Amino acid sequence: MSRKLLTSLAAGLALAFAVTVPAQEAASPDADAARAASMARDAEDAASRDQFRQLDQDVQSLKKEVLDLNRDLFLLEEELLFPANSQVAFFISMDVGEYFKLDSVSLKINGKEVANYLYTDREAGSLLRGGVHRVHMANLKTGDHELVAIFTGQGPHTRDYRRGATLNFSKGIGAKYVELEITDRVKKQQPEFVIKEWE
Amino acid sequence: MKIRNLLAGFVFSVFAASSLASSGLTGQPAPDFALKSSTGANLRLSEYRGDVVMINFWATWCGPCRQEMPLLDELYSRYQRVGFNLLGVNIDDDSNRAMAMINELGVSFPVLFDASKEVSRLYQVDAMPVTVIVDREGNVRHVHQGYKPGYEQKYLDQVRALLRE
Repeated sequence: MSRKLLTSLAAGLALAFAVTVPAQEAASPDADAARAASMARDAEDAASRDQFRQLDQDVQSLKKEVLDLNRDLFLLEEELLFPANSQVAFFISMDVGEYFKLDSVSLKINGKEVANYLYTDREAGSLLRGGVHRVHMANLKTGDHELVAIFTGQGPHTRDYRRGATLNFSKGIGAKYVELEITDRVKKQQPEFVIKEWE
Repeated sequence: MKIRNLLAGFVFSVFAASSLASSGLTGQPAPDFALKSSTGANLRLSEYRGDVVMINFWATWCGPCRQEMPLLDELYSRYQRVGFNLLGVNIDDDSNRAMAMINELGVSFPVLFDASKEVSRLYQVDAMPVTVIVDREGNVRHVHQGYKPGYEQKYLDQVRALLRE
């Protein structure tokens, strides 16, 4: 009985082997093709990944360029369309004023007269009490400019007095404030004209 | 024919523009100005806000101005204490001549010198004299061009009416 079983098992194995081997022999060209196909697919995937990466980089760089352009446009717009940023305001103030009675102030920017203001007694009095007068407001381009202020009035011993003060200033983006201050120089018993830029 | 029509149109438009210009200020805020006066002080119109102000543009070469000024001075002397002010704006190139005339006529109201004619342009002065009456709020209420005897009564009525407002 056991011999029969062994014989039949051996026959089964032999059959199984006989079936498997030709099957294996027949499958080998398909596997190559599959491998080749998969390799090709992998290569294609890699190529498309590279392409995609390249495209992504392109998009990123384009995005950066767009952002740069947008920033430039924004700055340009700010510079051109918002005149508040190009504004320069000029203020007159007076400290003590014992040696000078203010009559008028004339302002020239880059050689062109832009303001000529006559002060009444009341206005000059307000300046003496600490008031500040905005004598002129201008829109200026960014860059270097020259301001010449000419003050007329009565100096020591009620003599007619005329003095100029010059300031070369640089105008950046953003509003600028310039103060023209009249002070007394006690040592020399003369008025002094100081031009200050506010930060 | 066409040229004549064009000319007529042009003359009409110029006339219309000038008459509009003269009346354009009435009802508008009086343009502010500051000028040097005969006393040496600078005077600014806006500092008289709250008073009735008469601005009289005049020149030494203008006959009616000479006729009108003593009458204006009378008006000024009478109503100054109740809030009336008169500013005479002289438009001569040479202020010395104006000073001589003021002294000669003996006017007491402040006279301002507009040698550069900036203020005259501001007030569209295209006749001589021109008298502008400004109310307490700083608005131009009446503009008179030229002067004829009898105008002083108009001024008086208008100033009194504005002082009562």
